[in-house]
Amino acid sequence: MNFLILFEDFVQLLAVVPQTLLLAITIFILSILIGTVMALIQEYNVPVLKLIVVIVKLLLRGTPLIVLIFLMYYSLPDTVTFLSGLVGLDYNGTNIPPAIILIVAVSFTVASFQAETIRGSFLSINKGQIEAAQSLGYTPYQMFKKIIAPQALVEAIPEFSSSFLIVMKAISLGFMITVVDIFAEARLIATDNSYYVEAFFAAALMYWAISAITVTLSSKYEEYLHSRM
Amino acid sequence: MLNPTITEILLSLMQVSYITLIVLVVSAICGLILGTILTIIVVKKIPVLKQITVTFSSFTRSVPIIIQLFIVFYALPPVIESMGFSTTYITATVASIVALSLYHGGYLVEVFRAAYRALDKGQHEAADSMGYTPIQKFRRITLPQTIPVALPGWGNALIHLIHDTSLVFALGVVDIMGRGQLIAASSYGMNQVKIFLIIAAIYIVLTFLSDAIIRFFEKKNKKFKLDSGLNTKGA
Repeated sequence: MNFLILFEDFVQLLAVVPQTLLLAITIFILSILIGTVMALIQEYNVPVLKLIVVIVKLLLRGTPLIVLIFLMYYSLPDTVTFLSGLVGLDYNGTNIPPAIILIVAVSFTVASFQAETIRGSFLSINKGQIEAAQSLGYTPYQMFKKIIAPQALVEAIPEFSSSFLIVMKAISLGFMITVVDIFAEARLIATDNSYYVEAFFAAALMYWAISAITVTLSSKYEEYLHSRM
Repeated sequence: MLNPTITEILLSLMQVSYITLIVLVVSAICGLILGTILTIIVVKKIPVLKQITVTFSSFTRSVPIIIQLFIVFYALPPVIESMGFSTTYITATVASIVALSLYHGGYLVEVFRAAYRALDKGQHEAADSMGYTPIQKFRRITLPQTIPVALPGWGNALIHLIHDTSLVFALGVVDIMGRGQLIAASSYGMNQVKIFLIIAAIYIVLTFLSDAIIRFFEKKNKKFKLDSGLNTKGA
């Protein structure tokens, strides 16, 4: 192992960290939104939609992410062209950038896990809290915003931080459809100077550092929220 | 095969499915053994080895599996060579089995450790006061009560492993993913949607099978869950 090259690779990789983080945060937020919708549909037993959510979750649990990414990569452009044709738009789906396809694929996969987390954190709220809010005459929206969401958030934070790391790791598969993140950049560096082990190890160290920072920050934030409650 | 039908694709994929299964089963078994050994190291607090294990486990959990695959693929042959062995048998398949075993083992440490922690302290004390030897205690008290707690987590780890075997084609292993890409290439980039839908179906079946197996064992081990310290509803 050549440590000088390892260090150089690591410094070079720092340049792609912001765009990787941006991609990860976008996917993370989208997955929380989709996951919340899925959780709410399941919690409130919305007819038909609930069945769809259950089936989608089952299928997503069984399909490896890379297969899903390839499926979307090859089918999404035609689907989008077809759908926009239906509403009378003349949009050519082949122009969709691969990053968007990656965002869609990873968001849905992670959302199906998020839904479980969010449901669990909703269920962890004491029933008395909801009864108290009802007896005070809160509307369902007020109740969600002022009573349920703040308490559910505290419960969900550790899970959220680990699912953020899952997203970080998942987008390393983007190199298959030409999205450049830390891992894809490491591959490029490696083919450039042909020090493969060094480049991949530098990428591994980068991921390790990011996950250590994320875990520390999230536990600090959790402590802060707990102290406020 | 310029324009293969669904049956043709399925048959062609089935021809290489044994590679996916070998990678999966061998790394599941090696990972289980490795995970058990590492868990014993962590639980028994063996100095130095414990710190190495904790670092290793954190590494395997925070680094994407695709990087671990590539690191092992490129780093394993030089390491083996420096130990004086022949590297001819280090194929991409062997490298992916090694990488997936390490990954699975590192993942299982956390699962098993949590399950061990869930065991009520009184159980240890009772066994000690009855004069059980450590091996007797492990076989009759610790293991039977740890298994039912660890099973769901282990099932999840297995599903992760199944999903991750779909990545070994990146190293050049011709498993069902690799074969699927070859079929797509030989039909001039057509049929990808069809091919990947079939691959997805195969993986879904695999996942459900492993789910069913785990659930079977969960049912079988339910009776041991009596005093695990975890169940609050009573048996």
